[in-house]
Amino acid sequence: MIAFLDSEVMRAALPPALTIATVASSMSVMILAHRLAFLAVGVSHATLAGLGVAVLLSLPLLPTAAVTAVIVALLLAALPEHRGLDHDAGTGVLFAGAMALGIVLLSSASQYEVDMFGLLFGNILMVSSEDTAWLAGAGLVVLAALALAARPWWSMALDAVTAAASGLPVSLYRLLLFAVTGLTVVICVRLAGIVLTTGLLVLPAATAWFWGRGLFRLWLLSLLTAITGTLIGLYLSYRMDWPSGATVVLALCALFALSWGSSRLVGGRARAF
Amino acid sequence: MSPPPLRVRGLCVGPREHRVLDGIDLTVEAGHFLGIVGPNGAGKSTLLHAIVGLVEPDAGRVELFGEPLTRFNRRRLLRRAGFLNQKQETPSTLPLSARDVVMMGLPEWNAPLWRRVRAGETVTRALEMTETANLAGRDFRTLSGGQKQRVRLARALASDPELLLLDEPSAALDTHARDMLYALLRRLCDERGVAVVMVEHDIAAISGHVDSVACLNVRIHHHAMHGERIPESIWRAMYGEHMHVVAHDSHCIGCHNGDET
Repeated sequence: MIAFLDSEVMRAALPPALTIATVASSMSVMILAHRLAFLAVGVSHATLAGLGVAVLLSLPLLPTAAVTAVIVALLLAALPEHRGLDHDAGTGVLFAGAMALGIVLLSSASQYEVDMFGLLFGNILMVSSEDTAWLAGAGLVVLAALALAARPWWSMALDAVTAAASGLPVSLYRLLLFAVTGLTVVICVRLAGIVLTTGLLVLPAATAWFWGRGLFRLWLLSLLTAITGTLIGLYLSYRMDWPSGATVVLALCALFALSWGSSRLVGGRARAF
Repeated sequence: MSPPPLRVRGLCVGPREHRVLDGIDLTVEAGHFLGIVGPNGAGKSTLLHAIVGLVEPDAGRVELFGEPLTRFNRRRLLRRAGFLNQKQETPSTLPLSARDVVMMGLPEWNAPLWRRVRAGETVTRALEMTETANLAGRDFRTLSGGQKQRVRLARALASDPELLLLDEPSAALDTHARDMLYALLRRLCDERGVAVVMVEHDIAAISGHVDSVACLNVRIHHHAMHGERIPESIWRAMYGEHMHVVAHDSHCIGCHNGDET
């Protein structure tokens, strides 16, 4: 354990990894409450198009990916639900289209310019100081949006019609929710990559769902899960020389299995405190 | 004299050739209990949705507390109203206590997280009025359909509303709970001067409690005050030629003992 903390690479990776864990687990509660897991999958894959554009035009990777993700998420929020086309289908269309565009754009870049494995599966161990600063800034934006809109989002997740009938500008809050989800996805891509980001956005709240009741307790348990999973994952990644993002997601999966199993033992999710 | 909590003037929803609501005029004074009945697809829920601004009228207007409802004053005016949506088809999976659900009815609940929101006197009173105080700590997901409906009603009451709009509130309630609900609404009208607009299917169940009944099928065919008889032609216009009017008790608005066929 001491060797782990002595490692310069790990010491540099811990602050951004814990920032990502905090932001992802906080938004995770809303992503589960609003059933946006597939949207997160779609947006994370669509960021490949943003990364392709960034490489092609020599733009900074993460900010360009963030803009792409927010635009894609807003497009999905604005997609009219009529003639049988719902968000599920819309996400599938954008997901495939943007991913294909990303692959085409990146295929023209030299392999030295793009760390494809890092993009797809994450690599928190090679994070630059600019990336750390960007992650902190974007993370603060997400947390500020949560502080501002968590209660309306929570209320909409329970019953959007009643929330709207109380005068709440539900459409506006929905756009904000989708945009912030898009931004959170890009934050997570640095640790877990395009393919595994959904794990960071779903597993913390899913683990907490069996035990927490009420917004605050659910968020706290989700946060504790994400931080524990990240620390265990990074430690195992260091010890076993496994890829960091995948190991963190595996650790979160193990915590989820533990939570689900123990909740079954003590009476399932319906138990009352 | 204060303006009526609700006034609807010439309200039309839907294209001219296929109106969902057509020329609706309604005034509900403080303390008045209005029941709205009509067949499926009559536009009952659409009317309630138009009153709270969820549906944009194609003509006419809605006035709440003397002010025409606009997108700019909507939030302020609706702080004085409580709304109970039709029973949800897909149950929520959110881990919440019944008290959490009721607290969502407080106007200050949607404030940013740094402003603390407490379950004050109105929440406690709403829970007591709906006989759900014993359920306050229970997980909302584990409650029965009737219990959930009472908690949702408590949520509508949490803001101490002056106008209450209820879309089939007795759905999922047993006879006792339904009678308790109607008696509670009657008390709110009489003792606190709340104006209540309630959409229901069953006129017989509500007629002993309400002050008036509006018969709605796209337009209001008749508006009967307590004790007034609703002509059979109105029922036929609303429900079709094959309906039979069956009288059941002397309190029923619109029914007289001699009407049965």
